[in-house]
Amino acid sequence: MYKLLLGSLLASMAFAAPSQTAPTEADCQQASDNCAAIGRWNFSVALGAGVRTNPVIHSQDIPLVVIPQVSYYGKRVFLNNLDLGFTLAEGNSSSISLIASPGYDRVFFYRSDLQNIFVSGFSGSGYNATVVRSDAQGAVAFPPKSRRITYLAGPEWTFKFEGVTGQVDLLHEITAQDHGNEIRAALGIPLIERGRIGSLGVNVGITWKSAAIVNYYYGSPNLYEAGSALNPFIKFKFSRPLSGKWRLDALVQYERLGRAIANSPIVTEDQVVTAFIGATYPF
Amino acid sequence: LSRPLLAPRTRFSRGAIAAVIALNCGGMAATVSADEPAPASGVDIRLQLSPRVCTLALKDKRCQTEVHASWQAPRQESLCLIVLQRPDVKRCWENYSEGTYSIKMVFADDLTFQLRDPELRQILSSEILHVIREAIHYRHQRRDPWNVFE
Repeated sequence: MYKLLLGSLLASMAFAAPSQTAPTEADCQQASDNCAAIGRWNFSVALGAGVRTNPVIHSQDIPLVVIPQVSYYGKRVFLNNLDLGFTLAEGNSSSISLIASPGYDRVFFYRSDLQNIFVSGFSGSGYNATVVRSDAQGAVAFPPKSRRITYLAGPEWTFKFEGVTGQVDLLHEITAQDHGNEIRAALGIPLIERGRIGSLGVNVGITWKSAAIVNYYYGSPNLYEAGSALNPFIKFKFSRPLSGKWRLDALVQYERLGRAIANSPIVTEDQVVTAFIGATYPF
Repeated sequence: LSRPLLAPRTRFSRGAIAAVIALNCGGMAATVSADEPAPASGVDIRLQLSPRVCTLALKDKRCQTEVHASWQAPRQESLCLIVLQRPDVKRCWENYSEGTYSIKMVFADDLTFQLRDPELRQILSSEILHVIREAIHYRHQRRDPWNVFE
C-alpha cells in the first residue's frame, strides 16, 4: 500500500511540480503569516492553559502551559520545531521538500519527550504500568518496554489553491526502531481571515500508520499484534492580536484513533482531544 | 559580521545602546535649527568621513563604529562640526585651516555631518554616512497541521 501511495504521490507531484527548481519568493515580499524571512531565526512562546488527553492506560493527561516555538528558514533548508526539511522546488502554489519529523506517539508514553517540552515538568517516568488483557480468562501482563525517539523521513508536497493549503507527507522510519511507514495528509482552510474579531481556521487531515509503527508503540508479540491504523483529525484555531506583539491563540483539536490503536490493551480511549487558550509572544 | 567600508575596526551591536561620545564637546549643547540653513557660497571647505558607508548584515540592527571626520580649508576658519541626528555632538574650531574629530557612535540610520559657522546658521560643508541594509528575502512558511499551533 505504501509503495502504491508513494507512486501516486510522486506522479501527482510530477504533474503539479512548480516550474522553478529553486525556492522562489515571488509573492513573499514581506513578513506575514505565510512568509518568513530567509536567514532569520524565529522564536515565540505561548503562555496559557490547556490539555492534551492521553489515551494510554494509567497515564495522565498532558497539561499545556508553556509552549515554545522555533523555526528557521534558509534558502532551501528549514527547521520547524522538531521537523527538518530541505526544499527541492518551490513555486507560488506548491513546493516539494524532503523532511524529517519525529514519530508522534511517543508523547503518550514519555512526559519528557521533546514534543512535550515545556508543556509540564519533566517527570521522566514514562509508561511502565502492568496491564491486563480485558478479554483474557486470567490476567496477562502486558510487558513494559522502552519506546525510543524515532524519526521519519520522506518527501512532502505542499500546495495552495483558492486559499486552501494542503500537505502530503510520505514518511519512512529512519532511526532503525520500527522500520514503519507513515502517511500524513491535511488541508488548512481559513474560515475568517483577519476579521474584526480575529482569524479562524480549520485543519482536517489523516495520519496513516503502518502496522510496524502501531505495534512498536501499542503492541506486544503474542499478546497484541495490530495492523495499520488510520487516524483522522480536525482542528479549529482562533487567533487575534492583543496589545503590542502579543497575540491571543485558542485551539481545539480532535483526533480519532484508528481501530488498531484503540483496540490495544494499553489504550483506553479511542480519541485524543487537545485544547489550549493563551497568549503568544513572538520574539 | 558585516563591517562598514573603510573602517579598520568596526563592530555592530544588536542592542539599543546609547552612543558613546569619545571626545568632550566642551559642555556645549548643539542646537540645530529645524530650518535648514542655506549653504554658504564661495566657501571651499572639504569635509571627509571615514567610514562613509556602514553595511548591516541581516542579523544586525545597528552600526557601532568609530567615525573619523576631517576637514581642510584654504584659509583659517572658525567653524563647528555637528551631526544633524545627534544634537549632543558638537565640535568647534577657532581660526584653524584643518581639523579632525573622532567619535564612537551607534546608529541605525544615515548620519549627516555638517560644518557650520560658529552661529550654526550657514552650512559650510556636508557629508552623509550612509547605512545600507542587506536586503531581506522571504519565502513561504511551512505549514505543519500536526503541530498544536499551526
